[in-house]
Amino acid sequence: MTATNTNSKLTRQRYRGLVYGIGGLAILGLLAGFVLDQHFAGTLVYLLGAWIAGGIAVLAPMWSEATLQDERDWELHNRASGILIGITMVLGLSILPALYVLEAGNHLEITGVVSGVILTFSALFLLYGVCFGIAKRRV
Amino acid sequence: MQNNLTNRREDEGLSQGELAGAVGVTRQTINAIERNRYDPSLELAFKLADHFDCRIEEIFEPDQDE
Repeated sequence: MTATNTNSKLTRQRYRGLVYGIGGLAILGLLAGFVLDQHFAGTLVYLLGAWIAGGIAVLAPMWSEATLQDERDWELHNRASGILIGITMVLGLSILPALYVLEAGNHLEITGVVSGVILTFSALFLLYGVCFGIAKRRV
Repeated sequence: MQNNLTNRREDEGLSQGELAGAVGVTRQTINAIERNRYDPSLELAFKLADHFDCRIEEIFEPDQDE
């Protein structure tokens, strides 16, 4: 942990404002591009905003002398991730097998959209498993 | 876990932000500890004890039912 430098120009409040502000502008740009039929420009604004906001979010705590994040933030992220994984797992395990059984019995049809959602969740779980393995090796 | 961080901090005339700066965390973390909503890591507990020149047990004590 680094000591807080109260003279630092980048405060925690400014850091958060920058990240959320740029991220918000990126999303607005994407939506504006969609509405105004300027899809390429909207995508460009979104990508730029996402990369800049993401870069600041990750790099600023490493480079700044001010304490922008601390152990409580990591604890909050940890708890939120646990809750998210728990909810997704309970929903996934309870719903997905039932969906496939019902489809096999011709009671419903799993559409392309639902298939996409299932694949996305499966990929996320796989990625979570990989990240968990990496984290476990380091602790 | 219970603690007497608020009393110790106020005895020294420090704000939450000043104590946070001294031990390298955010003001929100000090506030959460004082309100018993967050248990600090061992590292931070040692830093706080070091700052107040006392032992960890003199600042923190487990709940009775723990």
